[in-house]
Amino acid sequence: VLTSCATIHRFIGTACHPIESRQMPGSFWEEEKQQSRRPFSFEKIVYKDCSIPNPSWNKDIRLLFDQFMQKCEDGSWTRLPSYRRGSTESIQDFKTLLRDGQITKEGHITQTNLFTRSFEDGLGFEYVMFYNDVEKRMVCLFQGGPYLEGAPGFLHGGAIATMIDATLGMTAIMAGGIVMTANLNINFKRPIPLCSVVVINSQLDKVEERKFFVSCSVQSVDEKTLYSEATSLFIKLDPDKSLT
Amino acid sequence: MIRTGFRVAARFGQHRALLRAPSLQPRLSPAPACGSSTDSLVSRFCPEKTDLKDYALPNASWCPDMLSLYQEFLEKTRSDGWIKLPSFKSNRDHIQGLKLPSGLAVTSDKGDWRIFTRCIQVEGQGYEYVIFFHPSEKKSVCLFQPGPYLEGAPGFAHGGSLAAMMDETFSKTAYLAGEGLFTLSLNIRFKNLIPVGSLAVLNVDVEKIEDQKLYMSCTTQSRDQQTVYAKCSGVFLQLKLEEESPQ
Repeated sequence: VLTSCATIHRFIGTACHPIESRQMPGSFWEEEKQQSRRPFSFEKIVYKDCSIPNPSWNKDIRLLFDQFMQKCEDGSWTRLPSYRRGSTESIQDFKTLLRDGQITKEGHITQTNLFTRSFEDGLGFEYVMFYNDVEKRMVCLFQGGPYLEGAPGFLHGGAIATMIDATLGMTAIMAGGIVMTANLNINFKRPIPLCSVVVINSQLDKVEERKFFVSCSVQSVDEKTLYSEATSLFIKLDPDKSLT
Repeated sequence: MIRTGFRVAARFGQHRALLRAPSLQPRLSPAPACGSSTDSLVSRFCPEKTDLKDYALPNASWCPDMLSLYQEFLEKTRSDGWIKLPSFKSNRDHIQGLKLPSGLAVTSDKGDWRIFTRCIQVEGQGYEYVIFFHPSEKKSVCLFQPGPYLEGAPGFAHGGSLAAMMDETFSKTAYLAGEGLFTLSLNIRFKNLIPVGSLAVLNVDVEKIEDQKLYMSCTTQSRDQQTVYAKCSGVFLQLKLEEESPQ
């Protein structure tokens, strides 16, 4: 698994080309004929990129998305696609895909898809991440829907913790390959209203051998409200050891 | 059951426990939420009769470990003062008649809310869990089985899903132990990965309540306690809910 994941990581670095903001293709589906359960026929599996605007995205997240897409034009920032399978393929296919290192013809396997498979647009996690490789910074635009509620009208602490872990984790992965969360420390300053948009700014602070120290802040779109801050430690996996 | 009832009543000294013969666990009589005592919070939180679906009940996706540990705790609700917490689709269902203080309450035109840990309703795919709470000892045990939708590393639950389960268990414990409402901080040390579909047991204790804050600790382990999955400390803010004005 780990060797294959490392291969995929290399592809992440090279195959993630920024998308021309003027030329959004009509559809982000990799349109292929759907076939049931054939793990090695990847050309038959349909993948959908979820980290692009859909009708549930409000004007705040759309505006920021456009701003960051402009920043992608000179190559300093890259949008990370977030793929989920568009039909009912089982996890087994995806695991086989990772295990055998085979990927779609464009090398677009990036992050886990935060269990959004069963949600209609806008009900759960709507997000997109942009990465700056020179500064080792990740920006995640996140709009949490009504299925992520905690206290009435507010986002569940666990939902923002999940998003923070995902953003910090991706920052570490981009820098170091396959990593695991070791420590996660979150300070919640203010509760986040449901269906609002927040910006998670994360950066790689320090690397010590296999330790990756990453921190982030969660702010409102106008940067006037600080919702939370987090620090974390991720450990790069030793390729010679198994996961358990 | 009568013995338990008197024990509970003696400890709190405020409410008489009425006993319902055929029920699975001792029930406290419904009390007005004028006091903030744990038992009044519990009785309001656990409605006697409801049409709401309780998701914290065994279903076909529960692994044998989870089922048998569930039965053990169910026994403890009959004799040792534990209470099984119901788990509804939305947190709003747990606090009917109550609302956030006026500075915080938000109105919304949306109708379909779900508590995050019940967002996936397909059995066995997301968070399968049940929380048992001990009112006098102010501690909780959560039986948690992560489904395939919570996968991070292939075959294992991702860190964020355990963070969310810890936050949710803290949340219910904090609310019933002392009207804790909002998470102030979570400090998690992950030790081992939880295989998808297996049982993880979260033990939560309230360490202290001070300056309007509840301080709690949580250890997540395998059932045999041989594997520690994570340790966490959490702090919650106390905030009293208000009665909704009659309409």
